[in-house]
Parts: sequence; C-alpha cells; structure tokens
Amino acid sequence: MMNALARLGRLGLDSLARLGRAHLLLFGILGGLPSVLLRPRLLIAQIYGIGVLSVLIIVVSGLFVGMVLGLQGYYVLAQFGAAESLGVMVAASLVRELGPVVTALLFAGRAGSALTAEIGLMKATEQLSALEMMAVDPIRRILAPRFLGGFISMPLLAAMFSAVGVLGGYFVGVGLLGVDDGAFWSQMEAKIDFEEDIVNGVVKSVVFGVVVTWIALYEGFDATPTSSGVSQATTRTVVHSALAVLGMDFVLTALMFGD
Amino acid sequence: MGNGSSPSMPATAPDKAAQMPSAIGAKSGRPDPGGANPGIAPLVRIRGLRFSRAAHVVFDGIDVDIPRGRVTAIMGPSGTGKTTLLKLISGQLRPDAGTIEVDGEDVHALGTRALYRLRTRMGMLFQSGALLTELSVFENVAFPLREHARLPESLLRKLVLMKLEAVGLRGAAALMPSELSGGMSRRVALARAVALDPMMIMYDEPFTGQDPISMGVLVSLIRQLNDASRLTSIVVSHDVRETAGIADYIYLIANGQVVCHGTPRDIASERSSWVRQFMDGEPDGPVHFHYPCAPLAEDMLTRARRATRR
Repeated sequence: MMNALARLGRLGLDSLARLGRAHLLLFGILGGLPSVLLRPRLLIAQIYGIGVLSVLIIVVSGLFVGMVLGLQGYYVLAQFGAAESLGVMVAASLVRELGPVVTALLFAGRAGSALTAEIGLMKATEQLSALEMMAVDPIRRILAPRFLGGFISMPLLAAMFSAVGVLGGYFVGVGLLGVDDGAFWSQMEAKIDFEEDIVNGVVKSVVFGVVVTWIALYEGFDATPTSSGVSQATTRTVVHSALAVLGMDFVLTALMFGD
Repeated sequence: MGNGSSPSMPATAPDKAAQMPSAIGAKSGRPDPGGANPGIAPLVRIRGLRFSRAAHVVFDGIDVDIPRGRVTAIMGPSGTGKTTLLKLISGQLRPDAGTIEVDGEDVHALGTRALYRLRTRMGMLFQSGALLTELSVFENVAFPLREHARLPESLLRKLVLMKLEAVGLRGAAALMPSELSGGMSRRVALARAVALDPMMIMYDEPFTGQDPISMGVLVSLIRQLNDASRLTSIVVSHDVRETAGIADYIYLIANGQVVCHGTPRDIASERSSWVRQFMDGEPDGPVHFHYPCAPLAEDMLTRARRATRR
C-alpha cells in the first residue's frame, strides 16, 4: 500500500518535473524566435522539411476523408430530402473539425515523430553537445527554427486538407451520386461563415501546430540518448500529441461554438 | 611526481582510500604539473571538485592543474568519469562542490553569455566526432566561423581549406559525414575544433575504435597541432601507450580520486600495484577481473535450490 502510494507520488513528481522542463524549453524557444527571423534560410529549410514533405500524405488523406464524407453525408441527407445540403455538410465538417484535427494527427505521425527522432539522435550522437561547445545555443539554432516551421506549416496543411476534402466530397456527391452542382456550391457559400467556421478552424490548426511541434521538440530534447530512449521518445510524441490534440479540440470547440 | 616524488591522493576520502592499494592510499598531495612549466599559472585549475550522479560519487574532492602549452593526459579505467571531467571543465555540467578555473575565470560562476564567450576559446573533439550530419565536411568546419565570425565567403573558404589541409582532408571537403570513415570523421571534427583558433582543446577518447593507421595519424596530429598552434591540450583516454607517448603530464584517476600524477617517465617508474596493473594492462590485480559477488559454488547451489522450490 505504502509502496503504491510512493510510486504514485513519484509519478506525480516526475510528471510535474517534465512539465516544468517542457515549459522552460518553450520559453527558451520563444526567446530564440527573433534570431530565426533574421536567418530566413534556416526557417525555409524547416518549412520544407516539416511542411512541404507532409503535403502528399495530407492531400491524399484529405481527398479520401472528403470522399467518405460525401458518401456518408449523401446517404443520411437523402433520407430527409436534403441531399443538396451535402456541400455545406462536407465543408463544415472539414473546416471546423476534421481539417484541423486529422491534419494535426497526421502531422504528429509524419513530422512530429521525425522531429523527435532527429533531435533525439542529435543528442545521442553528441551533436547538441558539440554545438554547445562551439558556443552555439542548440535551442536557438536547432529547435527554434523547427518550432516556427511547425507553427507556419500546420495551418497551411490544414487548409490544404480541407480544400482537397471538399473536392473529394464534390467528386463523390456531384460526380458519382448526382447531387446538383449549383446547389452543392451555392449552399456551401451561403452557410459557411468566414469568422465562425474558417477563422475558428484556422485558430484550431495554429494551436494544434504549436502543441504538436512543442511536444515533438521537447521529447527529442529530453530523450534518453540511447536507441531505445529515442524510440520511446518518438512513441511518446505520437501518443501525447494525439491525446493533446483531441483533448484541446473539445475545449476549443466548446469555447468557440458553445453558447 | 606531482607531490614531489610520489603519486598523490587527497586524504579526504578514507572509504575510497580503503579500496586503493595501500601504497597509494597512504599518500596525499596537491598536483604540481608546474614542474613542467615553472612560474606560469596553469590554464585549468581544479580545486576540491566533487560531483555525483544519483548515489554514485564520480569525483570526491579532486585537485587537478592543466599546464599551459602542454599535452596533459587524463587516464583511468572505463567509467571513472574522464569524459565527465571534460564536461565539467567546459561548463556543460555543474559540480556539487569545488571550483574550476579556466584561464583565470571560474567556469561555473559565469553567466551564459560569458560562458559561451569562453567556449569560443575552447575546442573539443568528441568521441564520436559529433559532426553535424546534414552538413558537408566543408560546412562542418565552416560552421563555427559562420556562427561567430562575419567573414567574406572567399576568406572563409581559404580558412576552412587550410584547416582541412592541416588534417589531410582537403580533398574530402565535399563529402558528407556519412561517407567518412571513423578516423576521417575525427580528423574533420579536429579541424572544426581548431577552426576558431582556440587556446585549449579537449580530446575525448580520440583513439577509441581506430585502426592502427588512423590512430598513428591522430596521435601525431594532436602533438603537432599542440606544438604548432601553441595550444593547451587535454587528452582523455585509456589507451595507455598512445596517450603516454604524446603526453607531457599524466593524471591517473579512479574511484573518484586522482590516484597518481606525474610525467610519463615518473608514471612508468611508479611501483604501486594499481598503477602497474593499469599501465601494463594486467587482467587481474588490485582491480579484480570479477565483479564483486558471492562464491560461485554458493551462487550455483542457491539458484539450484530456488529452481527446485519452483
């Protein structure tokens, strides 16, 4: 009993210590952001690595998610004679929820895990120590550009996901199931509100981008510098990011759309 | 020897002394490598250094002086904290007690900026080379120059090529780190470590895992660079023959203590059984071949009884 309590206490203290270290790292990264803006090449390289290389998986996933939404939405709406509202349903689902959330989950799996593995291996191979010995702060030189790259890439990827998803829904609804072309677009245009739907979706994707990139960088930087340590850190990045994204999505949705 | 004529060991750790051969544990004294450089303050001055990791005491109040312009070797068995000592000197780790001064500056009293300024005057060769894997050999060597010196590209190129020429790898400038052998990686890392013309360079196990040719090249490079550039070199290693061959002064550390220190000739003539075992590579002696445990027969019987009960 006492041992179990002690273990619980140790777990709590360890978790608090990790949270504290993660916040200290975040403050360090934020302090390094101005220097990244002075060296745009570093930032562009990271936007390419984190964002551009994630485009393929985002676009393909967005297309299939949009197609499934078109299919499922049509069968439900057709029962109520509202198949013309398919465009609204697909767009609202994508822009408000699926775009930011699924993109963040895919982003954590593709870019987040890659970031953790990269930073963890840099630590394991003493590259981060070597930077420190060359009087170069690894947080400013290595982590800050990656953080900004994730911050910028995530909303753009979410926008691509939603746009391609709408096209997928259009292809299935209009192209295959015979929904009226004009009704699909006009109802979408009439019902989707720029501020309530699109801006809120963008806000969500920005928040998810910050959270996923922060988790990925922290896990890499804090990883035990061994092969199993890096492997565990990479797993933690995906798991913690997914849980954080889903939990924060509920909170943000409640704040944005709750009365 | 550092304390006049014999190996030394601070008398502050009776428990550790008990683990040492009595010939060493009975003596104490402060380092005096200045014998090699009389009248000149040491570049690195360590006093009363204590450092622990969890319950394991890595250093228990050691004193070390690194003389200027010389090659000083820090030697000892694996796991005695040689690399940790380099990290403490460079300010990457913080000691529990004691002071480390580099060129008169207390490393652990410095702020981040001052510490980074001091580090621009230190170079370090890591055991793995620690080259930045996404940069070419040229860019690796250019990295510290690009970060700290705003030089025209043409001048920077000449400087980098000169550094690479010094380690014999000018022809490998365009290669990526993944295309280099272990020895080449360390030579590139050495070129990078001296890119900013530091006052001191620290070598962490530079000979580990090297073939005889690469090892010979590294040994002569360390000595030549030290003499040609008037550097101060600290070589951490357990490769006795190679290290003793280029060192001006040697510290032997074990069990958190400086066990012995002196010139290579002093160490070679030292009679203590521990020093002899380490320097001659004897498999058994004061440091036992077997990790401490119960007698074999007792262990086997206990296990057999446990297995029967199951």
